[in-house]
Amino acid sequence: MAEDLVLDTAIRDWVLIPLSVVMVLIGILRYFVSKLMRSSQVPDAKIVKEGQLIVRARNLRASANFIPAKSFRARRFYYSNEENGLLFVPKGQAQNAQAQMFSDPNMAMDMMKKNLSMIIPQTLTFAWVNFFFSGFVAAKIPFPLTQRFRSMLQNGIDLSTVDVSYVSSRSWYFLNLFGLRGLFSLILGEENATDDTQRMMQMSGFGFDPTRSLGAEKDGLDIIQHDWALPKFEQHAESVLQKLVH
Amino acid sequence: MVTKTEESQLSRLESQVDNGGGGAWDFLCLVRKLKVRRSDKVLKHGLSILNDPKKRSALGPHEWTLYEQVAIAAMDCQSLEVAKDCIKILRRRFPGSKRVGRLEGMLLEAKGSLPEAEKAYLSFLEENPFDQVVHKRMIAMVKAQGDITRAIGLINKYLETFMADHDAWRELAELYNSLQMYKQAAFCYEELILSQPTNPLYHLTYADVLYTIGGLENLQMAKKYYASTINLTGGKNRRALFGVCLCSSAIAQLSKGRNKEDKDGTHLQFLAVTALEKDYNQRAPDKLQLLSSALKSLRVSS
Repeated sequence: MAEDLVLDTAIRDWVLIPLSVVMVLIGILRYFVSKLMRSSQVPDAKIVKEGQLIVRARNLRASANFIPAKSFRARRFYYSNEENGLLFVPKGQAQNAQAQMFSDPNMAMDMMKKNLSMIIPQTLTFAWVNFFFSGFVAAKIPFPLTQRFRSMLQNGIDLSTVDVSYVSSRSWYFLNLFGLRGLFSLILGEENATDDTQRMMQMSGFGFDPTRSLGAEKDGLDIIQHDWALPKFEQHAESVLQKLVH
Repeated sequence: MVTKTEESQLSRLESQVDNGGGGAWDFLCLVRKLKVRRSDKVLKHGLSILNDPKKRSALGPHEWTLYEQVAIAAMDCQSLEVAKDCIKILRRRFPGSKRVGRLEGMLLEAKGSLPEAEKAYLSFLEENPFDQVVHKRMIAMVKAQGDITRAIGLINKYLETFMADHDAWRELAELYNSLQMYKQAAFCYEELILSQPTNPLYHLTYADVLYTIGGLENLQMAKKYYASTINLTGGKNRRALFGVCLCSSAIAQLSKGRNKEDKDGTHLQFLAVTALEKDYNQRAPDKLQLLSSALKSLRVSS
């Protein structure tokens, strides 16, 4: 269809703006609720120790060439020997991490709370949008789109001849959902609970971190070859002093 | 470690505030951020802000952080009354807060009633065994009492959990040095070098410790580390230059029979000596005589 549809300005006043305002308000509400509900987390002894251990092992790998060979070997043995090496994780324990994560009541409750605070408002708002704001064209997207997007963006509009650029309010909802993140970080400061996409990424990489990265560090440490950099430094120092003196 | 720009910024703000220009709050924020110890200035300017109700309300929620900062500075300057007032105000605002409890423990420590402070700290640690600040206060207190072996035990236990804390490693190294347990101190310095390999001070102290332990192999390593310090500081570190000279002469003394090391060794030593002489010439020409005679005696014995 070549001609442009003229959309009533009342749509802008009564659909687009209220929807955005409502989403902003719900986001702020969620932020405060999550702040109230956040339980103080006592860090687990094992996790703290492992985190620090990983940092130390990583330092060892990174700057191994600065310490004498004997000390490096002693440290490597300390970390990765079979009996009581710090990085050594017996096979059985490695799989337990995930089971532990779900059986630990505190952690499970925490995750559930976070999930709830994320899912419920989204579901409610989506249902509200569908109920009240469906069945009409809400906005026109400024760039042309292919036909594939029709089912996603034009949900309530049952005319197949309308140009795909004219979208329903559901797409405005999704646009707001992902777009208001920047606005929230302006209003609420950096760490806010409305950052869903980040949280979704975090959830996927959660419980495996400690034991797997220990094994990874150990492998990295085993591979490394010690190439003592100090003798070279002696020659460098000579050249430095030469330049200084002459 | 404070970088050069930050240090210049700090001294600029300090002089500005001292001479009556504004910017006291910025100065205090910078001190807090960099964790430098300027307790008398903090006390003076902090109190001037806190005693003026208009300025105090202008701070908003930062007022309480300022109270904490001034309380700690007051304890450092032994104005215990000021500290007690600040802590009382904080306690009224935040009853049951662990952070305020920590300050109260520090006040007990400052007053000198160490056993009570120790009891308070131990109770904090029972509630929250991951409070790094309380751990460090305990260690500092035990060290102040002079019980160095116990302090070493405490730091070792602390490091078992928090092994990436390089300040703790540094403190442990100093404690070992004071007890002349040089091999253990060398281990700590190696940890420090691992965590910050480009910091010349750690190379320098490691070289010092190696030189002190003695033995041919250690002396050779010490010389290499002095050389790396020279490398990292562009030859400006006089202690490293002296270190090179001393190491070379000591090595030569120990290895009188073998001729292998001589060639490289003497060249570096010669350069170090020339650099030192040039430096003394520029800065302290009257001491040049002392220097030359001392160096000559080293060369003679080599």
